[in-house]
Amino acid sequence: MLTLTVLYDPECGLCRRAHDWLAEQPKLIDLVFVPCASDEARKRFPMLNHDLTKEDLTVVRYDGAVYFGPKAWLMVLWSLARYRDWSYRLASPELLPTTKKVVSAISQNRYQISRVIGS
Amino acid sequence: MTTTYTYLIYLAISVALTIWVARTLHKNGRVFLVDVFHGNEALADSVNHLLVVGFYLINFGYVSLALKLGYLVNNAQEGIEALSVKVGMVLIVLGGMHFFNLFIFSRMRRRKSHHDNRPPIRPDTFTAVKQEA
Repeated sequence: MLTLTVLYDPECGLCRRAHDWLAEQPKLIDLVFVPCASDEARKRFPMLNHDLTKEDLTVVRYDGAVYFGPKAWLMVLWSLARYRDWSYRLASPELLPTTKKVVSAISQNRYQISRVIGS
Repeated sequence: MTTTYTYLIYLAISVALTIWVARTLHKNGRVFLVDVFHGNEALADSVNHLLVVGFYLINFGYVSLALKLGYLVNNAQEGIEALSVKVGMVLIVLGGMHFFNLFIFSRMRRRKSHHDNRPPIRPDTFTAVKQEA
C-alpha cells in the first residue's frame, strides 16, 4: 500500500486543526497520522531519531524515505489531489527558499499561533 | 439602401474573421490536444473538431444577434462608423473566445500532469520501516 506516515505533534492545536482539514481532502496517496515520538512511531520506525521528529513535522514514505520540516509539508501537499500542482510549484528552485522560510516560521511558532486562534 | 450595404459588409467581414480565427485554432490547437491525449490522434482530432464547432456556433450566433443597427445609414461615413463599432465588438468577442479556448487547452494539459507520480523534492534520509504484521 502506497502511504505517507505523518509524524505530528499531538500537543499543538494548529497541528490538530491541520489534521482535521487534511482528513477531508481528496487524496492521491493515503496519509497515516502517528503522534511523534509515541510508542506507535517507535514501533514503526525503530531506527529513526525520534527526538528530531519532535522539533518539526516529519513524513516517512512507504519505502522509508524521510522528509523533515518544509519538505514534509511539501510531501503532504503532494498527497492531495487538489494541491499536487502546488507542491511542484512551491518546490521549484525559485520558490523553495521562501517556502522553507515561511514553513519554518509557522512551525517554530506553532504553540503561539495555536493560542491566538484559540485551539 | 446604404444600410443594407453596411449590413452586408458587416456580415462579410465578421464571417471571414470568424473562419480565420477558427482555422488558426483548429490548426494550432491540434498539437496541444495530441499531447494531452497521450498521442491518441483520433481522439485529439475529434475533440478539436468539436471545439471548433462550438466556436463557430457561439460566434455566428453573436454576429447574427448583433446585426441590427437601429438607425438608418445615410452616407459612406456613417456606414464606416457603424461598421467600426460592430466589427470591433465581433473582434473583442472573438478574442475572448480565443483566450477561453487557450484556457481550456492549458487546463487539459495541467490535468494531464496529475498523472505525474514523481515526488516534488528529494528525501533528507532513509530509515528502516517495520512492516505491519
